Amino acid sequence: MRLENTTMREFMRNKLVSVARRDDETILVHAVLDDSIYSLEIDLTVTIDNLVCTSIVGRWLRWTTPECPRALDFLGEAAGFCLAAGIEDTIHKTIGRKSCRHYANLLIECAHAAREAVKIINQQKDGGNNSRSLLATATHKPAAPSIAADSSPQPGSATPIPPFTAPANQKPESSRTTTAARMRQDKQAGPFIIDLHVHTSPASPCASASAETMIEEAMRIGLDGICLTDHNHVWTAEQIETLRQQYDFVILRGNEIVTNQGDMLVFGFDEDIQGVIKLEELKRRVAAAGGFLAAAHPFRGFLTFGAGDVGLTTDQAIGREMFRFVDAIEARNGKVTDKENGLAAEVAERLNLPATGGSDAHDETTVGVYATRFDQPINNETELVAALKAGRYKPVAFR
Amino acid sequence: MSNNILIFSMNRNTSVEKINDQMLESVCRLTDTVTNAEIRIRVKMPDLEISAIDGFFHHTYFEPVDNLQARLQHVVGTRVGAGMLKIIKGLIGSDDNLEQVVYMVEECCHGIILSLTRKVLLKAPDDEPGKVRFYSDMVQNSIRLYDRCAAFAKGGPLVRELEAAAEKTTGAPR
Repeated sequence: MRLENTTMREFMRNKLVSVARRDDETILVHAVLDDSIYSLEIDLTVTIDNLVCTSIVGRWLRWTTPECPRALDFLGEAAGFCLAAGIEDTIHKTIGRKSCRHYANLLIECAHAAREAVKIINQQKDGGNNSRSLLATATHKPAAPSIAADSSPQPGSATPIPPFTAPANQKPESSRTTTAARMRQDKQAGPFIIDLHVHTSPASPCASASAETMIEEAMRIGLDGICLTDHNHVWTAEQIETLRQQYDFVILRGNEIVTNQGDMLVFGFDEDIQGVIKLEELKRRVAAAGGFLAAAHPFRGFLTFGAGDVGLTTDQAIGREMFRFVDAIEARNGKVTDKENGLAAEVAERLNLPATGGSDAHDETTVGVYATRFDQPINNETELVAALKAGRYKPVAFR
Repeated sequence: MSNNILIFSMNRNTSVEKINDQMLESVCRLTDTVTNAEIRIRVKMPDLEISAIDGFFHHTYFEPVDNLQARLQHVVGTRVGAGMLKIIKGLIGSDDNLEQVVYMVEECCHGIILSLTRKVLLKAPDDEPGKVRFYSDMVQNSIRLYDRCAAFAKGGPLVRELEAAAEKTTGAPR
């Protein structure tokens, strides 16, 4: 038989998860991931009544870097996890980051399989009756999941952000001129460097340092100001004013909002957007509010892991729809490669759009890696938006 | 009840095929004791944007997903890459009966990324010192890898040069 016009598979991944009952209280989960790059397996024991993983063992069959085997040392941290719905984020953050993302991926499959198996066990107990209520029992997120080895936020319950109350005698006003601002005004007109992209904890669940820590570090390294741009989180004018007074430092607020075309930094816009919004709609709302919108790290991850080999040209890059809706492009971002920043800078130049810089810091060690250099001192949000619209700035490597 | 009879078994297969120079297709198929599902995406190169998607999802206990095809179409135009999961989830939805659909779209996207990754990894030398050099260079060129897994953890051999360079520049450990 002659094969014609056939193509080779570029990639193949198979995952197999089997669940058997060990005794009345426990199930055994065995899982294998075998793909074109990796091969690994894990064995778990899981309690039936509360879906807690009581033991976990992993084995590498194939791996890539010389250091991959170290991942096994951290797999044990999954012992104690409650594998109920909602555990995925915790698995990514602990097993994925400390151990290996592929072990995390397989453990998520195990959690799914364990939940389905428990539904079936419950149904069998019930003799096949009332299966939908039993399904719900095994599906719903637990009220108090047991994560013995992890103190990170529990699945299904977002970390509450502590209330932040300005002192009673303090009149909040985001555009008010503070002592620090007056000092800036005294400073002769000249370069004024602000990190325009900073995340803090707990406002951004992915950040590990508080706003106070980030501000102290920004002051220590000599920045003139920072802008807090937490993910889909609106800092109130009162909160920012309190921080300004506490530190006598230029602290501004922005927001990093998820759109269907990627993350966008907005300034002078305090609407609380949750979930994913269409970029076109966000642009409309920001413009109506008199704000400013910049594409955050527009080529993040684009030129790594072989994607850079696909031959994206600058001409093709500038054709991306997102650039029709943005006021600026973040062309220096601390979390992407030099090549990706370089492409963003080239696109900004070709489109005649201004370019900003920001660290995208999630902890204090990276505040100020990149920042934006303005011609004139900036004291408040109103001045920031005006300066951004005027276009007299450029991204700089600071730290 | 016997201990040796499986209660639940799952097979999930994801494959990526090159349709032509401008298009990759990624398919995720799920077959388990209670589910039969398939999601298929086409990704335009070199933009890495989802240009087409379809699929089906049957589960013994869940009601069929309302307007599955319409929901899937929401992700057309989404770029495969960093940050895609929150976009996919936000666009398709997060109801219980959509959890697997979202996961399968994500698996398709990961398949695309891993198919590109594979081509890079094939260039790694066979000898151990060569591999260390290759992966050290990789993390230096892809800073997001730093401290994101055991292989690239702080203090590890593959990030030693990166940390030394950072310390030289900033005067403080990375």
